[in-house]
Amino acid sequence: MLGLSRKTKVSTGASLPVIVGIAAACIFLLVGCLVSNIFAQQTVAGLAQGAIFASLALALVLIYRATEVINFAQGELAMATTYIAYQLTLWHVSYWLAFFLTLVISFVLGAVVYGVLIRPVQHRSVIALVIVTVGLFILIDGLVTWKWGADLKFMPAPFGNNVYHAGGVSFSRQDIGVLLVSILSVILLWVLFQFTKLGLAMRAAALRPAAAALVGIRVDWMLAIGWGLAAVLGAVAGLMTEPSQFLQPTMMQAILLYAFAAAVLGGLESPAGSVVGGLAIGVFLNLIGQYVGYATSELRLPIAFAVLLVVLLLKPTGLFGRRQVRRV
Amino acid sequence: MSRGLVTRLGVIAVAAGIVIVLGFRLSDYHLGLGARIAIYFIAILGLNILTGYTGQISIGHGAFMAIGGYTTALMSYYHHTDLLLTLPLALAVCFVCGLAVGIPALRLSGVYLALATFALAVSIPQLPLKWSKWTGGSNGIRTFTSPGNNWLYRVCWICAGIAFVAAWLLLRGRTGRAFRSIRDSELAAASSGVSLPIYKTLAFGVSAAFAGVAGSLFVLVTNGYAQPNEFGVLLSLQLLIGAAVAGLGSLYGTIVGALFIGLLPQISTSVPLIGSGHGQDVVFGLIVILVMILLPNGVAGLLGAIDSRFKSAIKSDPTTS
Amino acid sequence: MKRKVLAVVAAAAAVAAVAATAASGAVKADPGITKSSITIGGTFPLTGPASLYKTIPLAEKAYFDYVNDTQGGVNGRKINFLIKDDAYSPSNTVPLTQELVERDKVFAILGSLGTAPGLSVWNYTNQRKVPQVFLATGDSFWGFCATKVCDGSKKPWTIGWQPDYPGESRQYGKYIAANTPNAKIGVLYQNDAYGKNYYAGLRLGLGAKKSNIVDAETFDATATSLAQQILALKSKGADTMVVFGTPTPTITALVTATKVGWSPTTYINNVSANRLFLLAAAKAGANVDGVVSTTYVKSPTVNAGDKAIKQARGILQTYAPALVPSWDSGDSNITYGLGVAYTFVYALKHAGKNPTRASLMNALHEMNTSNPYLYPGIRIFTDFHKGHRDNFPIEQEIFIKWAGGATGDWKPFGKLLGGIR
Repeated sequence: MLGLSRKTKVSTGASLPVIVGIAAACIFLLVGCLVSNIFAQQTVAGLAQGAIFASLALALVLIYRATEVINFAQGELAMATTYIAYQLTLWHVSYWLAFFLTLVISFVLGAVVYGVLIRPVQHRSVIALVIVTVGLFILIDGLVTWKWGADLKFMPAPFGNNVYHAGGVSFSRQDIGVLLVSILSVILLWVLFQFTKLGLAMRAAALRPAAAALVGIRVDWMLAIGWGLAAVLGAVAGLMTEPSQFLQPTMMQAILLYAFAAAVLGGLESPAGSVVGGLAIGVFLNLIGQYVGYATSELRLPIAFAVLLVVLLLKPTGLFGRRQVRRV
Repeated sequence: MSRGLVTRLGVIAVAAGIVIVLGFRLSDYHLGLGARIAIYFIAILGLNILTGYTGQISIGHGAFMAIGGYTTALMSYYHHTDLLLTLPLALAVCFVCGLAVGIPALRLSGVYLALATFALAVSIPQLPLKWSKWTGGSNGIRTFTSPGNNWLYRVCWICAGIAFVAAWLLLRGRTGRAFRSIRDSELAAASSGVSLPIYKTLAFGVSAAFAGVAGSLFVLVTNGYAQPNEFGVLLSLQLLIGAAVAGLGSLYGTIVGALFIGLLPQISTSVPLIGSGHGQDVVFGLIVILVMILLPNGVAGLLGAIDSRFKSAIKSDPTTS
Repeated sequence: MKRKVLAVVAAAAAVAAVAATAASGAVKADPGITKSSITIGGTFPLTGPASLYKTIPLAEKAYFDYVNDTQGGVNGRKINFLIKDDAYSPSNTVPLTQELVERDKVFAILGSLGTAPGLSVWNYTNQRKVPQVFLATGDSFWGFCATKVCDGSKKPWTIGWQPDYPGESRQYGKYIAANTPNAKIGVLYQNDAYGKNYYAGLRLGLGAKKSNIVDAETFDATATSLAQQILALKSKGADTMVVFGTPTPTITALVTATKVGWSPTTYINNVSANRLFLLAAAKAGANVDGVVSTTYVKSPTVNAGDKAIKQARGILQTYAPALVPSWDSGDSNITYGLGVAYTFVYALKHAGKNPTRASLMNALHEMNTSNPYLYPGIRIFTDFHKGHRDNFPIEQEIFIKWAGGATGDWKPFGKLLGGIR
């Protein structure tokens, strides 16, 4: 048990050079923001966008840590749960009540998906798992289009539409709201994992299932809870995307791609890393779009994935990951 | 000649006979459909060499198809190259691209390799948009001539036949043994003298070359029209689905995989389950999931379980081995 | 000598054959047409990123059903309209169009949506001499290539419907140059042929004033946010924003501009100027008052008092009740669909008692009619007589400006604009 808790601590796991690099990047951003208004504005917009990447990336990481699955359906699950929230608002449930109800529903949905679809194939190859999630992707897409149609839908604005100005930089309430909600959900999750018995049990179940079972942890339940929590995070990402992308079945597809890049950048095993990775990619893409003329919009995705490839090749465990001993 | 070999040759002869007879009997529209199935067959065969036999997952084969397809379209558009000549060209270009991807891929395995190849699937189709001056961008680009469905059916199935024989010859020899030993255990393969870098890179190259030819033909059945949307992420995912349905590590199952992804969307559109056209996705998704849950080793595995002589029910697990 | 004789005989035989078929008329009917029915079909994005256009085929079908029930079809033939979902990808359009032509044996392809999908099959339809009618895209190809070699051959079997995109954006350019000659223009356009054509037309219309363009930013169809581009435009000091995109990014652009505290004079293209989208943008916080665009179809709300619009609601209630809510909030795509279907019925009536594919094209090449679903005064006109080469059915538009914020609507202003091609 002792060894277990030491090994599974949700620490950042970043090495010194990485921490120094991140600190340098933060200082660079700070100086840039003070020097140039447009730099500051692009950074703020990048952070708001990055927060959404971060939420979804964190969901991916949670699932990867729990079950070693790359969930290609994560974005579609998020999209589907956003539609559920939309349906609730249609039934005259107020926005924030609908928000929390949706989180509960998402949790159940995530757990059910694990129990029904993933558990039967969990101990098979990576390929089998990938394909099941791809099948789920197609299935959810079909179901949502069937139920709600593929045209744009709109929900009430959660944060109002005010814009604040400070020193030549405009902040919209919406961007700030998105940033706060995303970060708050990440912190809550961290507290759950770090300071509760349930969190400890979940980490144990993910990392040493056999040992965890021996000490009386119901491993399946823990993994299902992990999937449920990931679905909750996805729902947050979906609901926070809605104000700017609106509701349509494709709304999370591109975001999922950026979330993949973010998760790998931070290290697939590292929750903190995925959050930093998401924010970093959001800001990086905006700044590069502003200052590098060649990097036109069609190169945004390729650039994000070039980052992913470089990270994979130079430091496959990501910025925050630890080198794993390869099991033979 | 062993009995197994005789049965197999018999099966192949029957299959070839069916393909030839259908070539004379099918309507023009169904010939086009048949040509598509041949194309999927070639691409899945290539993917199977890499993923099924060498244990290297790829979710990026749509990218190689895009490269092959654009090779054909560009050569035909700018140089009026004979369409048949563009096929070996696409093969060569994609072989080189495959090697180029294979070398860095040596450092990756399992989910990391899956994500890296997925990155290719997403990024490569964006590039024609960036260089739209000579690729036509979103308006696409068309080959100088575009053949009819009859020609396509024949050429696609001849290519499929050649690809099958080539794959069979490659896999039954030394190279095939090396591939399989890498899949089963990299450590064991290396200690018995198999060069991991050479064979893994080679598998990538060969596999990409197959996909390249498939991509060329894919552009030809799309009326010779190459456009980025054709090579979206979905194509890469479909190929992987096809390979898994076929049963990874089975050459014979490949045809079932090709039929599956080639025909299922056609069939499921006419399922009156939920109507309004969206039944297609629901049915397709459900079947994919069910097949994966119920048939761990694909159709080939199912046959293998029924017939114990069919010894292709191989567990392929590139990560936990 | 022998050869010459042979040639003459062959030519004579050919003439005789043509004359014979012409005389016999309905002896051998074209595919898709029987005594009591005519089958047509089209490919549309019912799913995927462009699926918000799916009200168009549904409205077309509703109109055909209405004609079938109330008038017994056209010349006693009921119109059977097949809708296929290509999700906006050419790799689906090609087999689906083949399916329509070869399996379903359609008489004509009607209304297929999207430029790349259209381009992917126009060689095929023209080789087979299948009418490819009223493509739902405003590229110039469809109009010009009937008489000009495009993509290897002339395309006389293809015709568009709506006004052409670059022609439309030329009007914005002219308007800006005339009314706000000192405007600092920031352009935001989609990074594909659609956006680029619009942008080229704008520069043409601006003429000497095109140096007023201070920045042009592009965005990708997969964009997850437009904040970066909008901020760039703002930072270059633009006070006028011209957006050329499909509806979703256009709404996002309007919302984002307000969010970053920027309120330029805004122009958006007709495709995105559906009232539904502006209402949505306003609801999401965008300042939409004063946005300028153009239209050529009647709006269900602006023209609510119009006789044809009133009647249209009845048609929808009977034949496509699902469309009524979006009709009531002003979805002009539905009017578009009704207008296309109306024009097709008109052409079919003029294609003779027993229409052939060729006679349908003839009718399409000499249309001169009003259309109850088009903005008052706009005519449908094509002309292939006496060396005229006009294959653009609609060439007129009217400017519209938004007023009334989140409950507002478009207000047409100025004179009808002509020569849009």
